[in-house]
Amino acid sequence: MSLQQCRTQQPVRVREVDLDDPLRAAELGLRPGTVVRVTQRGAFGGVVLAVGGARVAVDARTARHITVEPVEV
Amino acid sequence: MSCPHCSPEPRPKDAGIQVSTLEHPVVALVGNPNVGKSSLFNNATGLHQEVRNAPGTTVEMLSGVWKSAGVELFDLPGTYSLLAKSPDEQVTVDALAGRLDRQPSLAVVLLDATSLPRSLYLLGQVARTGLPVVAAMTMCDVAAAEGRLPDAARLQDVLGIPVVAMDGRKQPAELAVAVKGALTGDAHVRGVRGTPLPADATLEEQLADAQSLFVWTEDVQRQLGTPADTHAVTRSDRIDRVLLHPWVGIPVFAFLMWALFQLATTVAAPVMDWAESLVTGPVTTAVSAILSAVGLGGGLIEGLLVDGILAGVGTVFSFAPLMFIMFLAIAILDDSGYLARAAFVADKAMRAIGLDGRALLPLIVGFGCNLPALAAARALPDARQRFVTAIVVPYTSCAARLTVYILLATVFFGPNAGSVIFLMYVLSILMVIVAGLVLRKVTGAGVNRQPLLMVLPAYQVPRPLVLLSEAGKRTWGFMTGAGKVIIITLTVVWLLLAVPVRGGYTVGDVPIEDSAYGATAEAIAPVFAPAGFGNWQSASALMTGFVAKEVVVGAFAQAYAVDEPEDAAEPGTLGDKLTATFDASSGGHAGAAALAFMIFVLTYTPCLATLAEQWRMLGPRVTLAATGTQIAVAWLLAVAVFQLLKLVW
Repeated sequence: MSLQQCRTQQPVRVREVDLDDPLRAAELGLRPGTVVRVTQRGAFGGVVLAVGGARVAVDARTARHITVEPVEV
Repeated sequence: MSCPHCSPEPRPKDAGIQVSTLEHPVVALVGNPNVGKSSLFNNATGLHQEVRNAPGTTVEMLSGVWKSAGVELFDLPGTYSLLAKSPDEQVTVDALAGRLDRQPSLAVVLLDATSLPRSLYLLGQVARTGLPVVAAMTMCDVAAAEGRLPDAARLQDVLGIPVVAMDGRKQPAELAVAVKGALTGDAHVRGVRGTPLPADATLEEQLADAQSLFVWTEDVQRQLGTPADTHAVTRSDRIDRVLLHPWVGIPVFAFLMWALFQLATTVAAPVMDWAESLVTGPVTTAVSAILSAVGLGGGLIEGLLVDGILAGVGTVFSFAPLMFIMFLAIAILDDSGYLARAAFVADKAMRAIGLDGRALLPLIVGFGCNLPALAAARALPDARQRFVTAIVVPYTSCAARLTVYILLATVFFGPNAGSVIFLMYVLSILMVIVAGLVLRKVTGAGVNRQPLLMVLPAYQVPRPLVLLSEAGKRTWGFMTGAGKVIIITLTVVWLLLAVPVRGGYTVGDVPIEDSAYGATAEAIAPVFAPAGFGNWQSASALMTGFVAKEVVVGAFAQAYAVDEPEDAAEPGTLGDKLTATFDASSGGHAGAAALAFMIFVLTYTPCLATLAEQWRMLGPRVTLAATGTQIAVAWLLAVAVFQLLKLVW
């Protein structure tokens, strides 16, 4: 599923980041293997993620291009 | 390059500073945005600071002497990576490599305790440049509150360099000691191999390079044993539930925009009047008295000093509080953590014209007054965004232009005045969008549909003293930088108004139509004939409008030698005279000509103060090119509207 589809507060593992330039996403912690969770949904489909202790805001289109899978805590 | 600090020949004053700091080694301060870097810089250097633009850019670089460490400290733009994606980040890369100024001898890298892996990544990149490094851990209070404060001593062992846990609000004495020690010792980060990538590295090479550092940061993190995510709902999360809520977030954003708009107009107005009256009142009286005492009263010199130069100083003083209020308001929004959220909330709307969500703030403020809108534009984190925003701001129809619309719409459109004025605002928004789209093509900003990936800093209570001093420094920068242009231009305007060209008047006592100003207006007027307002009164009002739009109505009144109407919606005899003039110059299509004139007023140039500030931000070349283009576009629009409407009306 994509980041946009997952439930709030559900920990998910990033599987694929399908962006033209995935470098900055990777540098901010959004890279295959890391565990993140959606902490807040904004208007127009944007999401806020917990990446480690940080909060990263992602627009709707980018969130659709990040594939994740659920993990057990 | 508008900034006096980046002119190629150092001024004597700057040379003095450089000599005194020459013996100090340079230390570069590097860190992610919003992790307390400027706060650390302020505490370390106190008042011994110098702001300058990095050569050839609009990117600000601060330097200052850190006395207790015996070094010169460079505060470099915040960045997440040395693989730069923006001009601001490139400045940090270049400064570390010694390409902008003196080669740093050491880097102090800030580690965000709440987000260690991301900070360690930047630390690893800095270590690869070969510079000795000292780490300063910030945001410790926030991390401790969330129960995952990394152990600084343990981190120091793992990294092999000094790590100092900071309290952002105190003198960084411990850090000074560590920096002093590291300058003579060997503070090289353990476990980081390799050298920086060349500037022309491919994306694959960059990704591989980053990956090797990710492995290292994960290893460090494992050795530390601090949990990455405690799954706790933080205080910031709870605030975000309200401020970023799909239904609440946008109204809150709209309310803050409204509040900023009020600050730039209603709140600032009385303070501006007071500041100006200080110069035009007591100071002017004193100058006049002194001139009389030395026998120069009442003459040309008094006119030049009082009506020329002092009027200019008064204008600069009247704008200073407005700029200060706006610098402070934006700094409060930034420091509290809301500005990054604003970018997220407004992202969708601004993305369409290739701008950052944060750019909506300056554009909305622009509808109140263009000048503080430029102040707000300075807070944008990317040089290209600042560039595009600063150029499109003049298309936001400021409140001063509204007075012109009211006068002309009332005179020429009677009962439909309201609709015509509304149309001007629609046109204003359209111009912003079109200009944004054109600039997006020209500058390449936003062409790649850059994803929004924005780190949201934890909310904090804004720090009043730091913000007041920052706003004060920025206001002073405006007064000294843009102030010069304003004073010189207003003095030239006074000279043109004072010098008679016919009719045997004396200098300083001449009706407008017989002054050099009137003669210039007369010479310009034919240019506007195709737009239907080729009369000298309109040309003169437009020339005055170049200085300030709020005096256009007054300029019309002056040109017709009638009293300025108290209320622009009740123009009285001024209305009759305007109708007659526009009727004559448009060949009976006065309404069409008036609309063309209003469109020209909306689009030709912002006021002088805004131009002066653009000059300071963007440099003379860009400002002149942008202004020239705007005047040409405004003329074409006015002519097109007049010629089309003439056919049907």
